Amino acid sequence: MNQYQSVTPSMIEELKTIVGAANVVFGDIEKLEPLSHDEIAERSYAHMPECVVRAGTAAEIAAILKFANRERVPVTPRGAGSGLSGGAVPLYGGIVLLCDRMNRVIEFDRDNMTITVEPGLVTNEINPIVREAGLFFAGYPMSLETCFVGGNVAENAGGGKAVKYGVTGRYVIGLEVVTPTGEIVRLGGKLMKDVTGYNLLQLMVGSEGTLGIFTEITLKLMPLPRASVDLLVLFETAEAAIAVVPRIMTLGGIIPTAIEFMDKTSIDASCQYLNETINSRGAGAMLLITVDGQDAAQVEREYDVVGESCFACGALEVFVADNHTTSERVWKVRRNIAEAFKVQSPHQSLEDIVVPIAAIPKMVSGAAEIAKKWDIAIPCYGHAGDGNLHATPVMNPAWTDDEWHGKLPLILTDLYRLTVSLGGTLSGEHGIGHKRKEYMPMVCSPAHMEMMRAIKRALDPGLILNPGKIFDS
Amino acid sequence: MKPLRIIVPIKQVPETGAVKMDEATGVMIRDGVEAIINPLDLYAIEAALRLRERHGGCVTTLTMGPPKAITALREAIAMGVDDAVLISDKFFAGADTWATSNVLASAIRKLGDYDLIICGERATDGDTGQVGPGIAAWLNLPVACYVGKVELIEESRSNSEMPRDSINRQKGSTDVNEVNRTCRVRRLVEDGAEILDVCLPGLITVVKEVADPRLPTLRGKQRAKSATIPVWGAADLGLSRENTGLEGSPTRVVTITRPKVSRICEKLIAGDPASVHTAAMHIFKHISADIGGLRHD
Repeated sequence: MNQYQSVTPSMIEELKTIVGAANVVFGDIEKLEPLSHDEIAERSYAHMPECVVRAGTAAEIAAILKFANRERVPVTPRGAGSGLSGGAVPLYGGIVLLCDRMNRVIEFDRDNMTITVEPGLVTNEINPIVREAGLFFAGYPMSLETCFVGGNVAENAGGGKAVKYGVTGRYVIGLEVVTPTGEIVRLGGKLMKDVTGYNLLQLMVGSEGTLGIFTEITLKLMPLPRASVDLLVLFETAEAAIAVVPRIMTLGGIIPTAIEFMDKTSIDASCQYLNETINSRGAGAMLLITVDGQDAAQVEREYDVVGESCFACGALEVFVADNHTTSERVWKVRRNIAEAFKVQSPHQSLEDIVVPIAAIPKMVSGAAEIAKKWDIAIPCYGHAGDGNLHATPVMNPAWTDDEWHGKLPLILTDLYRLTVSLGGTLSGEHGIGHKRKEYMPMVCSPAHMEMMRAIKRALDPGLILNPGKIFDS
Repeated sequence: MKPLRIIVPIKQVPETGAVKMDEATGVMIRDGVEAIINPLDLYAIEAALRLRERHGGCVTTLTMGPPKAITALREAIAMGVDDAVLISDKFFAGADTWATSNVLASAIRKLGDYDLIICGERATDGDTGQVGPGIAAWLNLPVACYVGKVELIEESRSNSEMPRDSINRQKGSTDVNEVNRTCRVRRLVEDGAEILDVCLPGLITVVKEVADPRLPTLRGKQRAKSATIPVWGAADLGLSRENTGLEGSPTRVVTITRPKVSRICEKLIAGDPASVHTAAMHIFKHISADIGGLRHD
């Protein structure tokens, strides 16, 4: 069933009057193709847009959405396309609304410790702007060098520093949103407290482009930690490494900024990809632990405690990176794992399960059992400190493509069933998109699903904004 | 048998990418910029540690710099270096490569008995690559630069044999187990590589190919924190003011400017080879006029 209209040349003419002829792409397959997918390795999740519109203002976006409702053409908002659940993929064709032109910093307010930006700003550009004022933005998705702030908010991106600083949503305090029906609404502001009505601001955060398009984003900034040290800790086995994770916080009494877990397959893939030669001494797994604070001496005491706890739990070696050069060296290994796997094979499914932190060891050993049962590899890495694991089933090279596509849903069902049994859920930070929507009933009751559908119908009665994501309406 | 001793002079530099120049004074802005071990010196440290792992002995590092340069030495100890000396004196400030190598050579002379000095190729801030060879000149040592591979050849010899490298070895040793140590190095040069045997004591400067530097360890950091690092000043080295620092430096920075970055974009429209060629030549002429004429070899 397709309840939508195809984009016609006369529609294109109208879109050109809204955003200017130079900002509309139509009929050029080469230019449209890159906007048919995000960073999911499997191309079967891709779908071609019919046209691409690069909007420059909230008013233009409002006009486009009014037009889309009238013409019944779906609109899929897109940031940098670095997502991992298909959020930016135009599942029903129609218009891809690109926000890359909207990349201005609107206001950096030192006194209120906020920065207001447009959605197309690259996340990594915020910190150099605010650093001189002794501030920083704590959002730290692994794709920070390319991703846009708008996408981070739409997916409620997590990343490496969530153990201590939480995820993107914690820092979003104001939004200007264009609603699916083309109204421009302001939610929140520079307020640290606000209980004036429903919390629609946080409803928008993580709505995966299905409830509104952000045109201005106000982010809360934090005092920049003056000292930060990373420990790269080697363990003989994945089990030994992961067992330490809950203990660091409960026994050590220290909440690190990050606790990242990488198993041997992940480390080897990334190191090979980067031509990195860290002496891993045959370690079966590594933890990357960051401790930060305002006082260098205190940070030193804390990393000492964390490092000693690791040795007490059987760590083979603890490397210390306390300057930018060495810190980048160790974090690069972690950040490039997903990319390294993608280069190796497109037949993989990068998962994003999240469980209570105490259940992490059981999750890792359970994933290994599932891998054994299906005779595939499931390398695991991720933000172990907040229970978020990127278990990634990779196709057995002996299988045909059809075998893989036939078995993958069963493998994922096993993985999710285990996750749910441990009190976990499908996605910690990548989102549902259309990649995981069929598994939603495993974690959400019918009443829960109906609440979400009711919200969607109320805000987007024409179902024109990013249809087919999270659930089928 | 006398244990092997390697000395690694290092430099503390501003974090790569954070290097900024004050155009008015021609001096590097170091305030508020994170200081690290010169990244290319890490390869020298790694090469030394690997030789020690293979042949035993000890590795000493030293640096000339302000008191805060001690953090670079502690980082080197955390990587596995045995001991360190900080060469620091207000007279040493403003030194060029001549004065710097003189001070470092004096310190190495004071350290005494050594087999091999390993330096990084150059420092990422000054970028001259002169201090390593300069030290060798002051100490009258053989030197090999741009070394990508190094191995130590140890040959036992008894007293009755003629020492092969008698020029460099003290004569009259009574140790029957004395060894001849030679360094076989692979020098990377523009059109290939040279294999050289360097008589020891000698000095080499190494490039990245020599070995990827290791990361400092927690145990190393703990050792580094409690390590006693002596500080030697001009008086300790028997140097006078006129031989050190700005006064002892023949180099004068006349002017320093940041090159203008201009990104002139010109779009080449695809077409037949002749028209693309014409368009390309037009652009090349434009560039050559900008940089003062093309060279026609």
